[in-house]
Amino acid sequence: MPENVQPVIDRALEAYSALAELGEELEDEWSYVNDLADAWRHRLAEVADQRGTQPASGAVSAAVDRAIAEIGLVADPHRAIDWLSTFPQVVLLALGETP
Amino acid sequence: MRFQDAARDARAVVYAGIQADPLVARAAELLATATPGQRILARAVMNGETTDPDGWRTTFPSLFGPPVTDELERARSEAILAASLAVADRGEQVRSQVRGAIVEELTARLLARRVGSPAVRRERRILFDGVRAEIHPYDVTVERESPAEAYDCKWGARGINADVLHQLDDARSHAADEDERLAVALVVFDAARSCAVRLAAQTAPHEGTAIVTLETLDALAERLG
Repeated sequence: MPENVQPVIDRALEAYSALAELGEELEDEWSYVNDLADAWRHRLAEVADQRGTQPASGAVSAAVDRAIAEIGLVADPHRAIDWLSTFPQVVLLALGETP
Repeated sequence: MRFQDAARDARAVVYAGIQADPLVARAAELLATATPGQRILARAVMNGETTDPDGWRTTFPSLFGPPVTDELERARSEAILAASLAVADRGEQVRSQVRGAIVEELTARLLARRVGSPAVRRERRILFDGVRAEIHPYDVTVERESPAEAYDCKWGARGINADVLHQLDDARSHAADEDERLAVALVVFDAARSCAVRLAAQTAPHEGTAIVTLETLDALAERLG
């Protein structure tokens, strides 16, 4: 039985928080990291509000989990900031949404 | 207002080698006709930690999964994946330079569709009477009767900074002082949402600078704005 969109987005947001924490290590970019993360969390929350109870296909769940695994490998704060923008775009695309 | 080749210093010589890499041309050609989703694929893979193609196919079901029935589109996605993996396979420093060069080449190719290749130039300085020339050249320029155009290109929204915004706005205003029109823009291979966040924190003038993002790249081939 497929899971709903809400838990998929919840997992993405949890991984995203860890990525933001890594990006925060660059003190000069602290504000940008937090503003960026807030902006994308807001967009993902919009999708969860609209579609959270809808089923997510196995392919969507697998795509998001694979993206989560990818950002789990990021160890460099500079690359974390690149992914703070890229990861939500990947998740939204997997969900059939526009960034 | 007049245009001039940038000085061929050591940095320029090294970077010219990056720009001439066939991988840059291949990726830019593919991205020039890519969909927004395929451009996100390229951004993700070129930023990526892993180079397993099957993993990336799993990550982008809308490009590689069963919903895709257009074999030409699937083939384009595969070609973009392959080119992006080749970029990701480079060392970190080279990868960064190659990504930047790809955005510049992509910008030049899209502009050439609108104004023709002869008008599109690379690595050019813009000189104004009585104004000290900027050290850094513009990545791409369109040199023709008014309006000329000047572009700086960035891989990500984080590349938006005060220096580049000042340089573009100064050029625009100096041109206006000479009763010339110079349209200026920053091309960012990143989402509009991320660019908006970055711009919101900038105090440098940017009201007269167009921001071209992943979502609006194709507008380069149609108009500046």
